[in-house]
Amino acid sequence: MLREEELKTFVDGTTRYFEVAAQQPATIGSPYLLEGEPAMHDYTGMINISGKREGVVYFTAPRAMLTVLLMKMQESDFSHESMRDLVGEVANTISGNARRDFGHDFVISVPSVFAGEKPQIPQPPGTRAFVIPIHWRSHSAKLVVSLT
Amino acid sequence: MQSSGTDRSRRLLTAAAGALLAALMALVLIIGFRLATRIRDNVATLRRASLLQAYPSELSQQLTALRERLGTLEYTGGVQQELSDSVAGVNRDLTALEHRRGLDPTLLGTAEQLWRAYGPVLAPVLAYAGEPYSDTDFGSSLSVSGKMYYTQVRRAELFAQSHAPALHRQLTALTAALQKRTSNAAARLRLLLSAGVLAVLLLGGAAAYLQLARSRGERAAQAAEEQTRDILHTVREGLFLLDADYRIGSVWSQALNHLFGREDFAGLPFEELLRDKVSPATLATAMKYIKLLWGERAHENLIKSINPLGQLEVTLDNGRGGKETRYLQFNFHRVLGAKGVKHVLCTVADITSNVMLTRELHEAQESAHAQLDMMVGMLQSDPLQVGGFLDAAAAGLKHINAILKEPARSHAEFSKKLAGLARELHAIKGEASALNLMSIAQRVHHLEDMVESLKGKSELDGNDFLPLVLKLDELLAHLRAVREMIGRLGALQAPASAPADTLSSPVLRPVGAEELAATLQNLARKLAEDHGKPFTLSLEGLTEVPAQYLGALKDCLIQMLRNAAVHGIEPDTVRRAGSKSATGQVRAQFQRQADGFELVFEDDGAGLSPEALKQAAVRKQLLTAEQAAELDDRAALALIFKPGFSTRTEVSLDAGRGTGMDLVAKAIYGLGGRIGVSTHPGRFTRFKIALPVPRETAVA
Amino acid sequence: MSTDNARERRPVRLLIVDDSNIVRRRIERSQQFDDLQVVGTAANGIEALELARRTDPDLVTMDLTMPQMDGIECITQLVKFKPTVRILVISALADKATAVEAMECGANGFLNKPFSDRQLNEAIAELMA
Repeated sequence: MLREEELKTFVDGTTRYFEVAAQQPATIGSPYLLEGEPAMHDYTGMINISGKREGVVYFTAPRAMLTVLLMKMQESDFSHESMRDLVGEVANTISGNARRDFGHDFVISVPSVFAGEKPQIPQPPGTRAFVIPIHWRSHSAKLVVSLT
Repeated sequence: MQSSGTDRSRRLLTAAAGALLAALMALVLIIGFRLATRIRDNVATLRRASLLQAYPSELSQQLTALRERLGTLEYTGGVQQELSDSVAGVNRDLTALEHRRGLDPTLLGTAEQLWRAYGPVLAPVLAYAGEPYSDTDFGSSLSVSGKMYYTQVRRAELFAQSHAPALHRQLTALTAALQKRTSNAAARLRLLLSAGVLAVLLLGGAAAYLQLARSRGERAAQAAEEQTRDILHTVREGLFLLDADYRIGSVWSQALNHLFGREDFAGLPFEELLRDKVSPATLATAMKYIKLLWGERAHENLIKSINPLGQLEVTLDNGRGGKETRYLQFNFHRVLGAKGVKHVLCTVADITSNVMLTRELHEAQESAHAQLDMMVGMLQSDPLQVGGFLDAAAAGLKHINAILKEPARSHAEFSKKLAGLARELHAIKGEASALNLMSIAQRVHHLEDMVESLKGKSELDGNDFLPLVLKLDELLAHLRAVREMIGRLGALQAPASAPADTLSSPVLRPVGAEELAATLQNLARKLAEDHGKPFTLSLEGLTEVPAQYLGALKDCLIQMLRNAAVHGIEPDTVRRAGSKSATGQVRAQFQRQADGFELVFEDDGAGLSPEALKQAAVRKQLLTAEQAAELDDRAALALIFKPGFSTRTEVSLDAGRGTGMDLVAKAIYGLGGRIGVSTHPGRFTRFKIALPVPRETAVA
Repeated sequence: MSTDNARERRPVRLLIVDDSNIVRRRIERSQQFDDLQVVGTAANGIEALELARRTDPDLVTMDLTMPQMDGIECITQLVKFKPTVRILVISALADKATAVEAMECGANGFLNKPFSDRQLNEAIAELMA
């Protein structure tokens, strides 16, 4: 069963990315449980967790948000590749935080990135996914955590 | 300690041996020096003595030579001079010998005596200074004095010849004695030197042995020290000693550094070690606890259970820049010396995994209890009823999730969610406890608590809702477990029963009137028991309730029944005092009216006090005092339909969240009905609910 | 009963102080020492002090939460009146600060309720040693 500290670690990893990269913290919206199909925006960075615990954590964001984020980061390249890199970076930050906080129990994969296409998200049986909306400026992305 | 004691005595012994050796060597040297000096003297004496030995025969020969020269009229002066030299030599040497110490005086005395006898006969010979020859024409011949001289020499020669052997013997004896003395002294010196060498060898050997033993002792001490260091380095517990001032000693185990993320423990006050890690109250208790160990009364083994640091939750750096919660266990042991307690040994262990294991065990146990609880509950109630509840609960939780899912960014938006969440939860809890499903009721109650505590916060954001959604997940998992169990039970009872998914599943069957009556009676019994207020519930006309209203009315009736039991009916002691029957009466009557239906729900309890309701509303900040003062009794009574109203301050599973009657009112309004209340203090509370004819006629 | 003819040592005289009948009986029943003699049982601190004056106990088992005079007050008075008495606090108190306070006032040991016979016997043995 997912513990509050664990969820917090993932959430903090995400919001901190915005704070560090764009000097503007993200806030989190009202969390809820995922029903049905996973909710996907344009770009998704995902890490797999195995070991004592199993599951996935992914950050999915619309192109518009990523564009503004890149602009805030003084980037001028708004290509598809840049977007992919960016969500991969966010996933990396989350994974770093998780490694720091629960290095013992978690084996964390290298982030994988999806764009557009609907990825096969493996959901461990008997677990529900937590959806945490991430608000930044006028945009919204989602952090989804599903862990045994 | 023991090893240092033997070490000291060994060192003392070595020093004593060294001093002894030095003294001995000095003694040997002094005696040896004196012996050597004496031998040197003896050797000089001996040389003189052996020279002396030759004089007697020399004198005889010289006298003979002198006489012969006189006889042949040769020159005598040279021989006389030699004789004179010899006599002087004897005198000189004898005088010299007299000054030698330790020489046998009798031997020397006899020799001197013998020599002195020579004096009178030799003196005229030596003294002769005339011309011994006279020259005539006939040739030379002895003069008169020469003839006398000849006679004197002849006499002296004869004397010498007769006395020389005795003197010679005497002088030889003297030499022999001297020789013996010298060889004795030499022997003594040899002995002394041998003894000295032996002593030096012995002492050297002893010193070497002691040195060896000492270094062996030192090696053992060093090995012990190294082992101690290894232990302190390796042991997983933090180990240290506390002195009477509660300061940490100069030695501690390496693990302590890791546990506390610092290294400056020497002399650190124990309080300082824990200051940021525990509450001041716990710290104060802990210091008092340690003080007990310095006292005499408390038995160490018998106060372990009250150790305030037996399980301490601390937040520590995890070494990767993050923080983590660990559980530490401090143990304290007296270290006794000759004069009572010398130190207190403190061990600190990281018992996080133990605590986690215990917690998991506890959770497993609780879940087993919950399952048992559930089984009993379900065996008591109709499995179909429970199935119905589970469907309703799933729908309720789905609604809750939908409330959560509505986007929110501001405090106001988050805050708006709370009322809806509380209402839904309250309804689920009501049904769960009505069905005796206490494990569910408790979980929902916990969620309600969380929602309630959020209501008081001035600033709400998504972080505040994280625990909520986690708890919701847990509740869903629990409901699924219950459903699985029902599936298994159902398979036992009726193989046809179909399990369904939690969040979205079709309602198994509409609630029937009989079921509703059973649920209410069940709940009434339970409430009477739990609150110690005996009362009876009479139900009339429930079969008349249209199927469309059954679900909603069930929620309402459960709520009103709970309110009646908690707020309305008085404890039997109060009732007797007020000349009422000890057993309370609660009645629900449903009947068809000309234009629809009417539900009357009443209890013969304490009734509602408009004043108390107004005060409560002010306390809850639903009204200002001025607004309250303007309300008439009727309006005051209507306050109970206001969201967030409750007259009970403490919260229990059964009522008192203030979402009871607003839920009822909302449900009734939702059905297009009306609700009213009338009361008489001390006598009754009566709710009248009017409902329209449902739009679609029920299919029976 | 004369105490002098029971070997050389006189039996340890035990006074039980607890407001619950059940616990009192429990303690009485569980003690398995030949040389332990229950000299009295008291349900509150005042009774306990009176009984202690009359019966001169060596060992007292003491509850903390009792009506009229609580355990801590009772321990304080008891130790003043007979400093050699050994006191075993038996309480269900979760609050460690109060437990430590009881020790500070002169109790010798603490046993948590509920307790097993073995735990009780071990505690008594330790205090009698």
